[in-house]
Amino acid sequence: MAKKSKSAAGAGTEVRGVDLAEVERLLAFMQQHGLEEFEYERAGVHIRLKRAFAHAGGAAPARPAELAAPVAHPPVPSAAGGGREHAAEAAPSDVHVIKSPIVGTFYTAPSPNADPFVTVGAKVAAGQVLCIIEAMKLMNEIESDVAGEVVRIFAENAKPVEYGEALFGIRPQGKK
Amino acid sequence: MFRKILIANRGEIALRVLAACKELGIPTVAVYSEADRNALHVRFADEAICIGPPRSSESYLNIPQVISAAEIANVDAIHPGYGFLSENANFAEVCEASHITFIGPSPAMIRMMGEKDRARAEMAAAGLPVIPGSDGVVPDEDAARDVAAEIGLPLMIKAAEGGGGRGMRMVRTKRELLPAFHTARAEAEQAFGSPNVYMEKLIERPRHIEFQVLGDKHGNVIHLGERECSLQRRHQKVLEESPSPVVDAETRERIGKQVVDALRKVGYSNAGTVEFLRDASGKLYFIEMNARIQVEHPVTEMVTQVDLVKAQIRIAAGERLEDAVGTFERHGHAIECRINAEDPETFVPSPGRITAFRVPGGPGIRVDTALYADAVVPPFYDSLVAKLVAHGRDRAEAIARMHGALDGFVVEGIKTTIPLHKRILVEPDFIAGKFDTHFLDHLTASRGK
Repeated sequence: MAKKSKSAAGAGTEVRGVDLAEVERLLAFMQQHGLEEFEYERAGVHIRLKRAFAHAGGAAPARPAELAAPVAHPPVPSAAGGGREHAAEAAPSDVHVIKSPIVGTFYTAPSPNADPFVTVGAKVAAGQVLCIIEAMKLMNEIESDVAGEVVRIFAENAKPVEYGEALFGIRPQGKK
Repeated sequence: MFRKILIANRGEIALRVLAACKELGIPTVAVYSEADRNALHVRFADEAICIGPPRSSESYLNIPQVISAAEIANVDAIHPGYGFLSENANFAEVCEASHITFIGPSPAMIRMMGEKDRARAEMAAAGLPVIPGSDGVVPDEDAARDVAAEIGLPLMIKAAEGGGGRGMRMVRTKRELLPAFHTARAEAEQAFGSPNVYMEKLIERPRHIEFQVLGDKHGNVIHLGERECSLQRRHQKVLEESPSPVVDAETRERIGKQVVDALRKVGYSNAGTVEFLRDASGKLYFIEMNARIQVEHPVTEMVTQVDLVKAQIRIAAGERLEDAVGTFERHGHAIECRINAEDPETFVPSPGRITAFRVPGGPGIRVDTALYADAVVPPFYDSLVAKLVAHGRDRAEAIARMHGALDGFVVEGIKTTIPLHKRILVEPDFIAGKFDTHFLDHLTASRGK
């Protein structure tokens, strides 16, 4: 399976045997057509994607007088979260995924104009602060529980995250 | 009207609230624990946010997580359902502080009704009959003797700071009084850290009668009739019905008026249920009030055709009762069977994967459930599988319809209490309306458990 050197997935990330850009295209295709499950096989590669949440209708439901048929709508926070989780699942097994312990808004930097805590490629120590999740006006610092290299940032700055949502992919040190 | 509502609950009540929101055209946000990832309330809501691991304390009861979810989803109201945070005054206050409308009574009302002692005192002051008892703590032997003389025997001595049957003693004869007083105090001190006890007349063979009420934010209160919930096993309601076979129109009107007057006096708003014990002579005594929507609310909905959950939402949005509820009449008789995922004889919980699920239908049948074929009943929450409600022109027709519905309700893969309900429905005393709160414990004891 051809590897793309630049994928839309995570700037410059290469994951052996999996074309993340293609996976993201498939996820977008699924969302666009309101699909819950998608499976395909080709040239020795078998891909199966399943959305964690289904949405009946998506946006504002109709008043009783007009019954709208379910329509595929642009992803709402949880659908996007579902997509991100699957991207995390597509990550190789030697990458440790840091998941959000709380519901809130994800920030990559301590303040709007500051530098982000970490970027892809950064080496982090166990206990090092990776990001802030704001919940109920409190800034919660999220620490890495392993030492290693940041290979992926799943969450988007200033966007909501839910409990268990993938935030960072860290390749623990000592592994190639 | 609200822009968006978050439902801080799960299971069938979350679906119930979802349905009311859909009818009102209000978008919904579901919250869920990791154990409920495939739950129907998650799938049918417009948005869904995972708020924690399976344990309730870390998810559905986790106030910061629920409020956080409400904030990121930008809702302006939260419906708490029943159980979980629905009677948590602190949660209601946090909602207010976060500029989110809590769809329920005010924090002050929740607090008042949550402190059972205080609720009793307030309702007594407002004119409701309460069980004769000591006014607060009974401090010593002399006081104990005085109270016993006043309220008569048999009586109960109960721990002021506790519950669950500990620090409780029944007294049938004068000779038992002082020894029971002392042992109750010793037990109470051991269990709850305080020896304080109060005394209360024991109602033998009581029947549990409760009145459904609705109040708006403009000082208006109405009642929608009573429900009888005497069929309980270990204090858990199993079957409920409306109207009660033993409450006549005069009693309904009299007690209903007392209830409405009392709640108007204290300024109660939104939904609530006022619970009474009825003694053998027919007298009703207030025991407590539940400041929330109840599990058995469908029974009242079937008889009055009033959508109580929609009314809750409309009341919370500021509508007056005359618009939120309108006029209604009571028609016919409704019975609800709570079907649990338990062994019908041992009552051991039976969580697991449901392999077949066929829900009955037909005239007068309503099923409130969040389960489906291939769903997994998780072990972390209550065991309610479904509420099966049958309505008929009279009690006999409701019972007949319930028979058919129970026969047509197929659940495989887990055990359910459907056989227990079938058994109850053929009991002569049940059919005759002759039962009290001990009925079901007797019935289930005779089968060995």
